[in-house]
Amino acid sequence: MSLADGVPHEAVAAKTKTHNVKERRAAWILTGPALILMVAILLAPILVAGLLSFTNYSLGNSGFDWVGTRNYEKLFTRSTYAKMFTATLTYVVTVVPISVGLGLGAALLINSLGRFREAYKTIYFLPVMATLLAMAIAWEFMLHPSIGMINRTLEMGCGTFLERIWPFMANGCAGHFPVWLGDKRYAIWVISFIGIWQGFGFNMVLYLAGLTSVHRELYHAAEMDGAKSAWERFRLVTWPALGPTTVFVVTISCIRAFQVFDTIEAFWPQGGGPNKSTYVMMFAIFEKGVQQNLIGIGSAITMVFLAFVMFLTLIQRWLVERKVHY
Amino acid sequence: MTHDWWKHLLLILGVIVVIAPFYMMVSYSFKSPGEIDRGEGGFFGRQEMMVDERCVVRRDPSRAEITAAAPRFPGQNDRGIRDALVAEAETDCSMRPVVFNYTMAFTEAPLLRYLMNGIIVTASIFLIQVVVALPAAYALAKLKFWGRDAVFALVLFCLLIPVHAIALPLYILLAKLGLTNTYAALVVPWTISVFGIFLMRQFFMTVPDDLIDAARMDGMSEFAIVWRVMLPTAIPALLAFAIFSIVAHWNDYFWPRIVVTGNRDLFTPPLGLREFKGGGDGSFFGPMMATATVIVTPLIVAFMLAQRRFIEGITLSGMK
Repeated sequence: MSLADGVPHEAVAAKTKTHNVKERRAAWILTGPALILMVAILLAPILVAGLLSFTNYSLGNSGFDWVGTRNYEKLFTRSTYAKMFTATLTYVVTVVPISVGLGLGAALLINSLGRFREAYKTIYFLPVMATLLAMAIAWEFMLHPSIGMINRTLEMGCGTFLERIWPFMANGCAGHFPVWLGDKRYAIWVISFIGIWQGFGFNMVLYLAGLTSVHRELYHAAEMDGAKSAWERFRLVTWPALGPTTVFVVTISCIRAFQVFDTIEAFWPQGGGPNKSTYVMMFAIFEKGVQQNLIGIGSAITMVFLAFVMFLTLIQRWLVERKVHY
Repeated sequence: MTHDWWKHLLLILGVIVVIAPFYMMVSYSFKSPGEIDRGEGGFFGRQEMMVDERCVVRRDPSRAEITAAAPRFPGQNDRGIRDALVAEAETDCSMRPVVFNYTMAFTEAPLLRYLMNGIIVTASIFLIQVVVALPAAYALAKLKFWGRDAVFALVLFCLLIPVHAIALPLYILLAKLGLTNTYAALVVPWTISVFGIFLMRQFFMTVPDDLIDAARMDGMSEFAIVWRVMLPTAIPALLAFAIFSIVAHWNDYFWPRIVVTGNRDLFTPPLGLREFKGGGDGSFFGPMMATATVIVTPLIVAFMLAQRRFIEGITLSGMK
């Protein structure tokens, strides 16, 4: 009996063993292509950029010299790159809070409505879907100094009370309205405006999804505790409940804002705007690395850019793991 | 609900700002150059017949044509025949502005070709992404193997890397391989979607093990399980991922701008529009906006038809 007992047991063990070997082999074959591509397309390029950022390499040259940290020194001393950092940070610092704020505001308003919710949602989401380059060209026409819709609309305000209470209108009506894209005082703000226009619908949809998970009982509980005004209820219930959504929305808005390129290349194919006021990092990588074939400096910008973006994402993950529930 | 009026007021103000460029784009694509310059004609323009000057110039009668046409205009001298021919050309070349703009959009540049390229590129990217990501996601979710945690950690790390950010080294690698200005260059960097792997893995985790065990009992191989058992269960997640991927790559301008230089046969729709803009003078606003409308329309229409799915797909990344 004991012998007969042992045989099937061993057979099962042997069978699971071959099964495990088979499973392991299948697993590696199934993940293989993904692994190879991950290394070749995502990891190797970072390594390559890291190495090239210490050289003066150009495509077409047979060799290159190691230049140490000279590329990075240029990056942090030359005024062109100072302008690059200023433009990028101005854009990010403007677009992220406003597009997140507008997204939240729109979501709260829409969520509190009974009718037309879907219509507003659809319309606000349109810019997210539309090809940004096409819309950039449409905006360029809108902003045209003489025949653009914006300055035409402003001209209609001439001769009305607006002229007296708003110095900007008075100046515009006396001389002419801004040339927007050609003026270094306005260029970066116009770009930021288009960034907000394009992105806030995305944030709104994420917030709307977040709002569905806020429990109604919490509002009742808050009211019991004396939170009478809408503001109190928002501060005590809605905002904390939206914590995880906010962390995500802010991070993704930041990453998208850092990558702004289409609008700038469409408006100013050369040079990054009036007086380089919109010379953002992605455009700098494109101009230096691809157009001017200065791969060393382009790679250095790439590395700094990656450092920014990865730092942001790590902060986000850290916040999420801490479970942002204030 | 009368106390909600201020909410509607705010939201409608927002709607006006959001819609304005779309309104202008479509409206300009209907109007004649004159109406655009003077800012008249409302939304549709007046649609008065207009003469396409370049068409008339193209048909400017030559000496031989004038002689050939002489029998048709008996008793007229050469000058008279010439004038008559030009008048004929003008009638033939006159059309409604809307027709003019959209014809120009398709004839001035090979817009159909660009649209085809857009479809080829976005479709190949999506298909390859699925072929690569689905098996990997299945293995990471359902198979036990040494190194699984390490592979998954790698996936999580790669989620940190935006592909646009490493465009320069990718461009150099492709240039070294002699692949710039090919379809491959447009597709290759996007073949791996770590986000797709992550998303599908999360989805597969929820599929019961019994389903897979039953398939194994039936003697199915692991590959067959991936494509015949897991794929059908994953359709909703896959659809969302498809929307996410297609919208991103149809609209992408940065990467095609880098790897396609000059070769019009490979232009994707945004590149084609960009070239149109570079080449056109002021009188081309109408056709250019017609091109923009044609490029933007497919996604917008698809979005209108399947709104909920689109919003799910695009915000997918938010549901981690």
